[in-house]
Amino acid sequence: MNLQELTRRHFFNDCGIGLGKIGLSAAMAGGFSNLLQGAGNSITPAATHYGPKAKRIIYMFMAGAPSQLELFDHKPKLKELSGKPIPPSVIAGQRYAFIQPDAAVLAPCFPFAKHGDSGAELSDRLPHLAKVADEIAIIRSMHTSQFNHSPAQIFLNTGHSLPGRPAMGAWLSYGIGSEADDLPSFVVLKSGGSLSGGAAMWSAGFLPGSHAGVPFRESGSPILHVSNPKGYDDKAQRDSLDLIKRMNQRQLEKVGDPEIQTRINAYEMAWRMQSAAPELMDFSSESKSVLDLYGAKPGDAKSSFANNCLLARRLLERGSRCVQVYHSGWDHHSKVENGVTSQARIVDQASAALVQDLKNRGMLEDTLVVWGGEFGRTPMVESSAALGRSLGRDHHPQAFSMWMAGGGIKPGITVGATDELGFNVVEDPVHVHDLHATILHLMGINHEKLTFKYQGRDFRLTDVHGHVVKKLLA
Amino acid sequence: MPLRFLFPTILLFSLFSVLQGEDEVDFSRDIRPLLSDRCFKCHGFDDASREADLGLHTFDQATRDLGGYRAIAPGDVSASEVIARLTSDDPDEMMPPPAANKPKFSAEELAKVKQWIKGGAKYEELWSLKAPKKADVPDSDKAIDFFVDRKLAGKQLKANPKADSHTLIRRLSLDLTGLPPTMEEAEEFVSSYEGDSAKAWTAAIDRLLASPAYGEKWARDWLDLARYADTNGYEKDRERSIWPWRDWVIRSLNADMPYDQFTIEQLAGDMLPDATADQIIATGFNRNTMLNEEGGIDPLEYRYHAMVDRVSTTGVVWMGLTTGCSQCHTHKFDPITHTDYFAMMGLLDNADEPEIEVPDPDVSKKRDAIQVKIDEKEKQAVAAINAAAFAKWNADQQKKATDWVPLKATAMKSTLPLLEIVPEDLSIYASGDFTKREVYNLSFDLSSLKGKAITAFRLEVLPDDRLPAKGPGAAYYEGRKGDFFLSEVSVSTEKGKLEFNEASASFGKISVGSGGADAMNVVDGDGSTGWSTSTQQGKRHELVLNAKAPVSGVKTLDVELLFERHFVAGLGRFRISVTTDKEKAIASAREFLNPASATEGEMKLAYIRHAPQFKKLQGEVAALEKTKPAFPVTLVMRERPANNSRKTKYHHRGEYLQAKHIVEPAVPAVFKPIPDGQPKNRLSFARWLVSDRNPLAARVAVNRAWRSFFGRGLVFTSGDYGYQSELPSHPELLDWLAVNFSETGWSLKKLHRTIVMSEAYQRSSEISPEQLERDSENVLLARGPRVRLNGETIRDSVLRSSGLLTEKLGGASVFPPQPESVSAMGYGKGAWKTSTGPDRYRRSLYTFSKRTTPFAAYLTFDGPTGESCLPRRESSNTPLQALTLLNDPMFEEAAAALADSTLSAHRSKPVDPKIIAAEMFQRLLTRPPSESELADLVSYFNAQKQRIGSDELKAAEIFESKDADLAAWKMVARALMNLNETITKG
Repeated sequence: MNLQELTRRHFFNDCGIGLGKIGLSAAMAGGFSNLLQGAGNSITPAATHYGPKAKRIIYMFMAGAPSQLELFDHKPKLKELSGKPIPPSVIAGQRYAFIQPDAAVLAPCFPFAKHGDSGAELSDRLPHLAKVADEIAIIRSMHTSQFNHSPAQIFLNTGHSLPGRPAMGAWLSYGIGSEADDLPSFVVLKSGGSLSGGAAMWSAGFLPGSHAGVPFRESGSPILHVSNPKGYDDKAQRDSLDLIKRMNQRQLEKVGDPEIQTRINAYEMAWRMQSAAPELMDFSSESKSVLDLYGAKPGDAKSSFANNCLLARRLLERGSRCVQVYHSGWDHHSKVENGVTSQARIVDQASAALVQDLKNRGMLEDTLVVWGGEFGRTPMVESSAALGRSLGRDHHPQAFSMWMAGGGIKPGITVGATDELGFNVVEDPVHVHDLHATILHLMGINHEKLTFKYQGRDFRLTDVHGHVVKKLLA
Repeated sequence: MPLRFLFPTILLFSLFSVLQGEDEVDFSRDIRPLLSDRCFKCHGFDDASREADLGLHTFDQATRDLGGYRAIAPGDVSASEVIARLTSDDPDEMMPPPAANKPKFSAEELAKVKQWIKGGAKYEELWSLKAPKKADVPDSDKAIDFFVDRKLAGKQLKANPKADSHTLIRRLSLDLTGLPPTMEEAEEFVSSYEGDSAKAWTAAIDRLLASPAYGEKWARDWLDLARYADTNGYEKDRERSIWPWRDWVIRSLNADMPYDQFTIEQLAGDMLPDATADQIIATGFNRNTMLNEEGGIDPLEYRYHAMVDRVSTTGVVWMGLTTGCSQCHTHKFDPITHTDYFAMMGLLDNADEPEIEVPDPDVSKKRDAIQVKIDEKEKQAVAAINAAAFAKWNADQQKKATDWVPLKATAMKSTLPLLEIVPEDLSIYASGDFTKREVYNLSFDLSSLKGKAITAFRLEVLPDDRLPAKGPGAAYYEGRKGDFFLSEVSVSTEKGKLEFNEASASFGKISVGSGGADAMNVVDGDGSTGWSTSTQQGKRHELVLNAKAPVSGVKTLDVELLFERHFVAGLGRFRISVTTDKEKAIASAREFLNPASATEGEMKLAYIRHAPQFKKLQGEVAALEKTKPAFPVTLVMRERPANNSRKTKYHHRGEYLQAKHIVEPAVPAVFKPIPDGQPKNRLSFARWLVSDRNPLAARVAVNRAWRSFFGRGLVFTSGDYGYQSELPSHPELLDWLAVNFSETGWSLKKLHRTIVMSEAYQRSSEISPEQLERDSENVLLARGPRVRLNGETIRDSVLRSSGLLTEKLGGASVFPPQPESVSAMGYGKGAWKTSTGPDRYRRSLYTFSKRTTPFAAYLTFDGPTGESCLPRRESSNTPLQALTLLNDPMFEEAAAALADSTLSAHRSKPVDPKIIAAEMFQRLLTRPPSESELADLVSYFNAQKQRIGSDELKAAEIFESKDADLAAWKMVARALMNLNETITKG
């Protein structure tokens, strides 16, 4: 084996961002298959799991937890019971974040109606989503194990409630690599308020750090340090890179360390990212009708969710594997009516536009779209004199709603149901682990087989749980 | 072929080639790893998950008669059922079964298993559970090379010659102090090395081991293990103060505190006889766990998570064992049972977690000086008192004062905390665990009132040094420290419930939320309204409830206090009194002195401190009090008293909500126990960890040191010495070093000296194609270490080379510059208070470590988040690292400083650009550049200078000055900082 071959192999191990294409072609040309024999590789290649239905995923994470009772899960019974406590048999043993379990029932704030051929039931706060009702699958039977934001958000993103496990996007990057050679495989976009789960939600955990999500910055250049330093034009940057490359090359010849070749290649990739990033961020090639569809206004902070949705689509077009679009602002402990109204106004149009736009471009069939928060909200009212709260809803892990669309998802269906109070799931429960198993399945991965050995144990995104939700599959 | 699937293959391939050629079948090396990996999950230690009632983890289990046949028949391959199963293709028969997702045994592996059975199927105890033995070596000063060279000779791999002197001094400086040598240090070493290399090497080692930077370098490694950070983690991730513990680590390492003592003090320093402040500060080690401050959490759930972390971290750091699996079930691969896990938790569990003030002579001196001024002012005022006015005030006060009768509780119970009477003042102290809703039920004997009518009820909330922020409340997260929230008060006698129609409080304010703190809130029947004295931590206040109708002729008083908030808000110290005064009682911020018992001096002091005519003085005293500097605080452990010890419970599946029976504290049964006669507590456990009963502490410690020098441990899987671990590459060497370490007083400095004195360490790190092919990972140590520097060391190196580094030991963490967009990703905004002045250029281990938004440059180079114990950092090589080094303004600043300081030394006369280039090169890379390297640098310099001259580039933008030379040299400096060699220890 010559030095060049070794260094190239080494490079493929290490350099995480944007390797899919190179990795694939080089592996074919270089013929690594001989290496796989007899080496006891315990990780079965993803390619052998299933044919993927989706090649990429965009996950609109509604941080703070939107009220399912005001958006997706119509519970007329709550109106009848408004002001009365929930029967003790239902609330016994439940832990709540803020309220006492005997708090009274709060009636749903908005009317619901059926939409599309599928007759999907949505509240009047989601007029745009209603227009693509036949494209989406609503899950009304989500439930989770966590009742506080930070652990619940981390749980939904990593399959574990404490920080330290790899995010779903990191698993995907690790499992199936990237299609982009000049942009990150796993990108994180954010709008709205602060995120309770923080960076743990896009961490690589114990996977190699290069699989971590790359958060795009809300101000300045999107990727940290992707712009030249002050005073450097592109030629100055290129001249510098050429000098660095020449000197690194000389060092490689002298000491023979393949890491140096990797370093040289990483610098070249950095250079490509520097050119790709401005093009990515430049929306001038987008038509007015597309901008209007999303409600995107480049540069306008008030439209940052819409802008992020459009940016997410551009990233997917350019080969990113997983884009997490976080929007925080759904934590309506008080005045849930106003809160849901204003957040829906920010989110509804662009979420629906993304589905429509992907469809228009023929991308929806192999792009998975997911929308939802970290848990639901209580059928009971939250009010607190100390906190100045009234007519709100507390955290409710027992039941909440999400929707999915695109790659491999059966369109126009509603899966699962809750009881008449919207308190517990009574039909087709979908736990967070099941959601993960389903997403991986759609991406062509058997969730039980994508494992990583760390500290003596094989870890998976779904821990020791998870079932693919067959009803959701097309 | 997706990329990642190549990764483990390549690794295994290279190891395989290294380990090839050992023909004897060795159970530990050849068989157990196979059984552990492919069989133990269903046929291992865990009784609960064992399939077909067959265990392959012990000889007895594996050779048991299974009804006419045996899984393994020692000596008889054909009678061994496992062979039939391992070779079967029938999905119902084959092992591992298809569902196990484990590879089939290869022909070669199968041959080994057969050979092993033929030889009698001998089992061996796991190597790491046997006590380390010190093998004989011809010369104990050359033990490392004896073992390494013997192995190399066996593999016929040629060792590299010694590295050149520039490489050596750079390697040694980086390893011992985390900093590259200065040019002067390097030159001095190189020239003395030419004369007497042995002497020069020893002198350099002595110098560097004695440098204060040594403690800083090795503290960083320890902080990774201790999951140190300056914030609490989770959602809010607020600042905490535990840097005094970090400084303790630096001091202890610099003083070469023996590792056994270093261990005991960190785990249980508070329990040592007459524990010193330092020994108590040391217990911060296990206070580095995260603290969830999100509103509405169950605080005891997160305390449980912290305990899980403590068990796991302690296991990894001192036992090299991953106990994590046993949290949820008996370990399938290692002999640690589910019960063992909670027994170990029991050893660590019995502690409260206070924050203490750190003694600081400087602070004390300043505080004392201010107190002297205050005393002086008051003394003067007392001396000038007008006797008549004083007498009048005194009489007036006595009239106003309510005659309160403090009551002594006859019965107390609470939902969770332990309530105890403080005999001196009849107050009640609550301690132990608290949660979001607490109810205290208290009964009092009223016989001393002799039937007189009760007119008012008083609750005093009192400070106590044992409480967070000195109390009076027990709040320690989310709400203000020391806060409480009294939701409801219910008072009754044998005649029924007492109604109150008026109430007053000496102060009222709640923390978190817009609600009021009116005294009447506690009797309004609404749990979400209440009373608190937020912002008045450490101060006494009172709440008075006036009875609607005085009740007489009663003997007992029952009081119920409800504390209900979205965070812990119970009272920590308080006192209940009643009065029979007819005058209406009103709450007062101060305690009235009883003229019958108070001295005149006390009365006079009270006069000048409270009478309105002394307002000016009172204002001055208050202003002086404010100027008193605060003591630094730090988080520590405090063993709980015997009357309120915590009972650790077994948690089914490891889940917090599934607590079952109580488990007695113990070390895992596979080890020799804590000696009889010693209490089964934290201190005994700490002592046990560094005793000869634990075969792992020394091994794990020397392996960690080895990895720090060589980039790879003798045991590669640094967190796991169990069955799933890779075997040590040089088992005898590991054991020799471990035994020698404990025999020579657990001295880390001696250990480090032993390692750097070896030839193996001093070899050139150049890699020949043959070495790369046969031993790409350098397992056999034919060459010296080549390791990419971590992010912190890269920054420190660049700061030192550019002359910016501030060399100051210890203190609160600092905020070097980083783009605002980094902290903007965190919860809440604007947390990054960029340091100015010397703090901007402190060593990187002093950089404020925020768990949810770690300092970006370190994280990009695989730095820790501080969320859990990190025994080994990754060493990735990515485009984001390139972007950081190329474009991060922090490095731009260093490049400017390097150019500026290099140039300014040559300002007096014109100088050959080659000299400047060479000097900058040497400052960063230690060695002198080659001619061709110089030529490259100068030609780049000239090209950039020309572009600046022709105004294509603006000097002012690049350097903030019009000097074209400076700007172009800065560009050179920046390029040099980006060389692979600059960020590598070669």
